[in-house]
Amino acid sequence: MRCLFILFFVATQFAQAQQTIVLDTYGHYNSTGVRRQVADAFFYGGLIDSSQINQSLTKLSARNAFGLQMGFNAQWQTPWALSKDAKNWSSSYRWVLGAGIHQYGGIHFSKDLFGLVFQGGLPYMGDSLDISNLRVESTTFSKLGFGLVNNSTQSSFLIHFVAVHNHIAAALQKGTWLQYPASAQIDLTLQGEAQFSGASPAAYGVAFDLDYRFGSAENDEAPQQFQFQVQNFGIARSTQTTQYNLSGGFQYAGYSFAQWQQATVNELSDAFLDSLGYEKSAVSSWILLPAQFQLAKVINWESPQRLEAYYGAQFMLRQTYTPLIYAGAHYKVKKAWQTGLGMAYGGFGGLRVQAYSAFHFKRSQLLLRSDNIALQNGASLYLQFRCDF
Amino acid sequence: MRLFVYFGIVAIVFSSCKKKATRWQSDWVLPILTDTLSLAHLYNDSTLSISGAQINIDLSRTLLDIGLSDIVKIPDTTISQQYQSNFTVSNVSPGFTFVNSVKTHALDLGDILLKKVRVQSGQIELKVYNPLNTAVLYQIELPGVSQNGQVFVQNYTVAAGTVQNPSIATETINLSGYEIDLSGQQGLEFNKIQSKLTLKTDPNGQTVSIFNNQVFKYEATFENLRFDYAKGYFGSTLLADQQQFTLPYLDKITGGSLSLPDLSLDVKIENGFKMALRAQIEQMNATNTQGQSISLNAPSIGPSMFLAPAVGSWNNLQPSSLLLHFDANNSNIKNYIENLGAYQNISYQLQPNPWGNTSAGHDEAFANSRLRLKVSAQMPMALNADALTLQDTFALDLSQDLNKTHVTGATLILDATNAFPVACDIVLYFMKDGQIMHTVVADAQLASAALGQIDPQDGLLKKKSKIKIVLPPELVADLQVLNQVAVGAAFATTDPTTGLAVQQAIQANAFLALQVQMQLQTQIRP
Repeated sequence: MRCLFILFFVATQFAQAQQTIVLDTYGHYNSTGVRRQVADAFFYGGLIDSSQINQSLTKLSARNAFGLQMGFNAQWQTPWALSKDAKNWSSSYRWVLGAGIHQYGGIHFSKDLFGLVFQGGLPYMGDSLDISNLRVESTTFSKLGFGLVNNSTQSSFLIHFVAVHNHIAAALQKGTWLQYPASAQIDLTLQGEAQFSGASPAAYGVAFDLDYRFGSAENDEAPQQFQFQVQNFGIARSTQTTQYNLSGGFQYAGYSFAQWQQATVNELSDAFLDSLGYEKSAVSSWILLPAQFQLAKVINWESPQRLEAYYGAQFMLRQTYTPLIYAGAHYKVKKAWQTGLGMAYGGFGGLRVQAYSAFHFKRSQLLLRSDNIALQNGASLYLQFRCDF
Repeated sequence: MRLFVYFGIVAIVFSSCKKKATRWQSDWVLPILTDTLSLAHLYNDSTLSISGAQINIDLSRTLLDIGLSDIVKIPDTTISQQYQSNFTVSNVSPGFTFVNSVKTHALDLGDILLKKVRVQSGQIELKVYNPLNTAVLYQIELPGVSQNGQVFVQNYTVAAGTVQNPSIATETINLSGYEIDLSGQQGLEFNKIQSKLTLKTDPNGQTVSIFNNQVFKYEATFENLRFDYAKGYFGSTLLADQQQFTLPYLDKITGGSLSLPDLSLDVKIENGFKMALRAQIEQMNATNTQGQSISLNAPSIGPSMFLAPAVGSWNNLQPSSLLLHFDANNSNIKNYIENLGAYQNISYQLQPNPWGNTSAGHDEAFANSRLRLKVSAQMPMALNADALTLQDTFALDLSQDLNKTHVTGATLILDATNAFPVACDIVLYFMKDGQIMHTVVADAQLASAALGQIDPQDGLLKKKSKIKIVLPPELVADLQVLNQVAVGAAFATTDPTTGLAVQQAIQANAFLALQVQMQLQTQIRP
């Protein structure tokens, strides 16, 4: 890392051609029903009081989602062109170096499971709870790569070396919980599996980023540019994945005196796991990275129009992520400050208000964006700093 | 430089923000125990019997059961025989027999004088030493030891050795089934065993010289001998002992009283040995947990009692016996038992041949000869308990980390169906190093079946109870320092109409069905 910094420093001191630094960082979390205060308690600590749990429960449907994305990206578009021959097509491409670290976490869960976890079994005595269709996905990885960027269109392609720091993929296809009011007997059925890759780094792989700009030419009277962006599309290979399987059920109504006297707690818990068909094994596995695909209209910052529409769609290679669509209006307050307001739907949450502001300086620009300015069931912040020199 | 200062300030600000633990409250009910306590496993095992709708105590226990091997023992014994020439014998030709001698060995068995025994199990280990520079043929014969008429003879060819390093041959032989005649050469002695050693040089060996420093010997070690037949005089060693033992559960009684119906107790002493026996119960007393002692008084406590020798032999052996009967007419047995003495103390003497060797060495014991002490008691199973309190202390290890997921409140819920005519009040004492820190009383009584109604399905009188034992938050908060819990249960056979403790008979097939649940208020800290 130090070598990269020195290289970057030397290059910036001696390079005469244009080069660009782009830094962006983001953090989003959102849910279809769980109140923000519940999630905030996990991030910042504190007590989740019963009213927040009750309010969340009233908003939850049979199937719900919660997710989290955080990350940081750095990109240096070097001054070095692929060819110095201006007549050669490759002279319009420059080398670009990129690095980043990303965290994706998503969960699909039933309302019954949320209630059981946050309220306990007592309020649900006599109710048959459906905890099926639970899915948990979490991946943390970092990447380091290089590629090319087109000077005129800003289209780029980077290939990355990826290190996965941890990865969880768990699914509970079938799960029921029933506790009888009279005897407190618990009937539990579970069928599912989970994979954990926990050693750091847990896996290595490759991924690529693509930023393809297309649309009408810039010299059109009202140019329409679009962006098709692919990020983190790749795979990694883990040789130290722990696989867990559950397929079974048990009815527990308490042990007899003899069982309490003759067996240890460990033996009793082992018997529970046996009846649930618990198996643990070490396997090798391929990890599909949480790739993100986005198709969006590119805002023309230089447009003479003060008001402009923007829109786009985004989805991820994750079962816990719902495709996101967004649209809104871009307003040019003045040349140095442009802003936008719109709506977004999907991802981990429902309909919410998004807004952004971009500040243009002589050689740099700063973009602040939130996809959830009303803090509806979550929060969102995106910061980008770009410097051309 | 300024940039570093800014970064430093930001780092300090953020590092000082310590994140509080995420936590929430949830309530759970966990089934802990589901069981039915009954006396069913005591039926038909010489403890209880059912007579109509009532249970009778029909206790039959063997308190002492000793056999021949417990009375007549030969300790592990080594006999040895050796030959050493007084002078040098030169030019000993091959095949020359140079020793042929018999030796009688006396066994030290105290005052026991044995003529004959038969080995049930055990072995003999033979070890033979040869210091001669040619092989030597050893013949070891035990003339009194035989099996099916064949005398015990063992032959060994022991390789050449030296004085410093004699050759050694070792063998272990199972003696099971062998008879050992200990009456000596004339058949008139006791505890005597003979051996005969014959030594011959190797017929195919060389001519050698036998020097006076060469010791030819063998050792025979009898090990772990147990007998199924013995004849002789079994001695008159007095077996006197004072035994103290604690009766289970009675040592947990901390208060109250128990009244039982009239009962009788029989003690039967059986002598399966063909020898006279003296038995004496010197004294028997019991002390309960309140320190009250009582001695059992009866005509048979104190004086010596004599049992005649058994008659017959082997399959038709008839033991002699002595029956001691204790009941309300001849003893204070009822008071003795109602004292609930946990700590029992009994002094007794057993003496074989109390008048010495009057059989002239003709005591006999067989494989099935036993000396037994049997106790049997009969009474209807009924009791009158008045606040009879049992208390037991258990180690407690429920420490929890309050910074992690932990219990903040707990309630034990007992659902009981009681078919015993006994009510029970439950108290829990939570202690730290023996010091009571919290006392928790159940909110209700486990009701007696006497308060219930007859279930037409099984004809039993039953009463259902639901009891809650609430562990208050301050107790739960102290769980990590508490290390003992004492469970106190006060039993009473209260008459539902008068409210007084009365004697209640326990109905046949009585049971106590219990379901214990624990209701937990937990603070989850992921």
